[in-house]
Amino acid sequence: MTEFSCGYGDDRDAAIVAFLYDEPDANPAERSSFEAHLRTCARCQADIASLRQVRAHLGRWSPPEPSFAIHNSQSTIQNPQPAIRNPEWSWRAIPVWAQVAAALLFLGVSAGLANIDIQYRGLTIRTGWSPRAAAVADTQPTSARSAVPAGTAPWRADIAALEQQLKSAIRAAQATQNTSMRTTSASASDADVVRRVRALVDESEKRQQRELALRLAELARDVTAQRQADMVKIDRTLGLVQNNVGIEVMKTREKMNQMDLIYRASQKQ
Amino acid sequence: MTWSDEELVAKSIRGDADSFNELVLRWERPIYALAYRTIGREEDARDVCQETFLRAFRALPGFRGQAKFSSWLYRIALNLCRDWIRRERRAPVVQPPEDVDLIELAASTEPAESIEDLVARKDLGRLVEKAMTLLPEEQRTAIVLKEYHGLTFQEIAELVGCPLSTVKTRLYQGLIVLRRELAKNSKATL
Repeated sequence: MTEFSCGYGDDRDAAIVAFLYDEPDANPAERSSFEAHLRTCARCQADIASLRQVRAHLGRWSPPEPSFAIHNSQSTIQNPQPAIRNPEWSWRAIPVWAQVAAALLFLGVSAGLANIDIQYRGLTIRTGWSPRAAAVADTQPTSARSAVPAGTAPWRADIAALEQQLKSAIRAAQATQNTSMRTTSASASDADVVRRVRALVDESEKRQQRELALRLAELARDVTAQRQADMVKIDRTLGLVQNNVGIEVMKTREKMNQMDLIYRASQKQ
Repeated sequence: MTWSDEELVAKSIRGDADSFNELVLRWERPIYALAYRTIGREEDARDVCQETFLRAFRALPGFRGQAKFSSWLYRIALNLCRDWIRRERRAPVVQPPEDVDLIELAASTEPAESIEDLVARKDLGRLVEKAMTLLPEEQRTAIVLKEYHGLTFQEIAELVGCPLSTVKTRLYQGLIVLRRELAKNSKATL
């Protein structure tokens, strides 16, 4: 390769780089000075051309796709989640069954503390710090209590009727609510679960495929290396065998020559 | 409405976590790419990226806006990369697979690019990756910041803390080394 000389000066490298990247706020005087030089300098022209090619090659290098970025982009589209959560304690991190268990425990403890007495069969709900004796009296079945004569306590009959109405209303409301909740929550949670499972399966498949490809590549490399090593070994062994055979043949030939000489000598005698 | 980085920073400082998340989503890829190109390991680059945002989140109340948010973030990431290189006490190692990643190749659905072009591009990318590992850290950082992140000479100088002329010299020297190595490797490959 022909080496041309360049007399641009000490800041040639900086001038080439500035020309190459052509920043908008570059010094125009310096640029025009270098451009004038470039028209007459073959070395700088060659450098600029080759470095432009290097820059074009640099554009071909892209880092592998980061997995966290994929997760984030998916979650942003479907279900925006904070990338960095506040360091607060969150219910979302706890499974549903644990939340339910915690809620039941909380209710039980609260009921115990508040001396709440709940009996389902008689639908007796009593709150407050009532004396135990009164509580025992109240735990009698409502049917017995509703059977009290109307004449002795007229308001009791009204309360009993109201109670019955409330019971049936609550039952009806519960039935409706349960049905609707079961269908909506089931469909919503099913879709969510299916989406999550599908994402997990996809990710797992990709990982496995990647692993498999890597393992296959490693295996292929190992097999090739082993085959090459075996071939070298076989070559060496064959070479040794050939050498040994050659030596044996030579020895045999020498012996035969000697015997031939002895035989000829004896014939002459 | 698209908020500027500085506006999102101001909102984050006032306690709006979503604004910081927006900044993370906006900058995680450039920071990851910077880390990967500087240290050359995917896993570690991801760790550096996450650590960068964690540090930024912690230090956000102290961010006074003297520099651009992106420059501030780049500085944190570069410092972490430098720590990583020192900790590992070795030059960054890029571990390109020996063969073309067939799965990735098959999964690619770029219609404008043929398989041959893709293989050629990947091969060239690997050659560049390999050549970049041979550069000294300063030259590599300068080239990465200029080529892949489009920073000006002045911004690079401020970021790495050296004179502007030094940045240009590093770039020139780095490009010359890359030219030599790419020519060598291209011949060896062909």
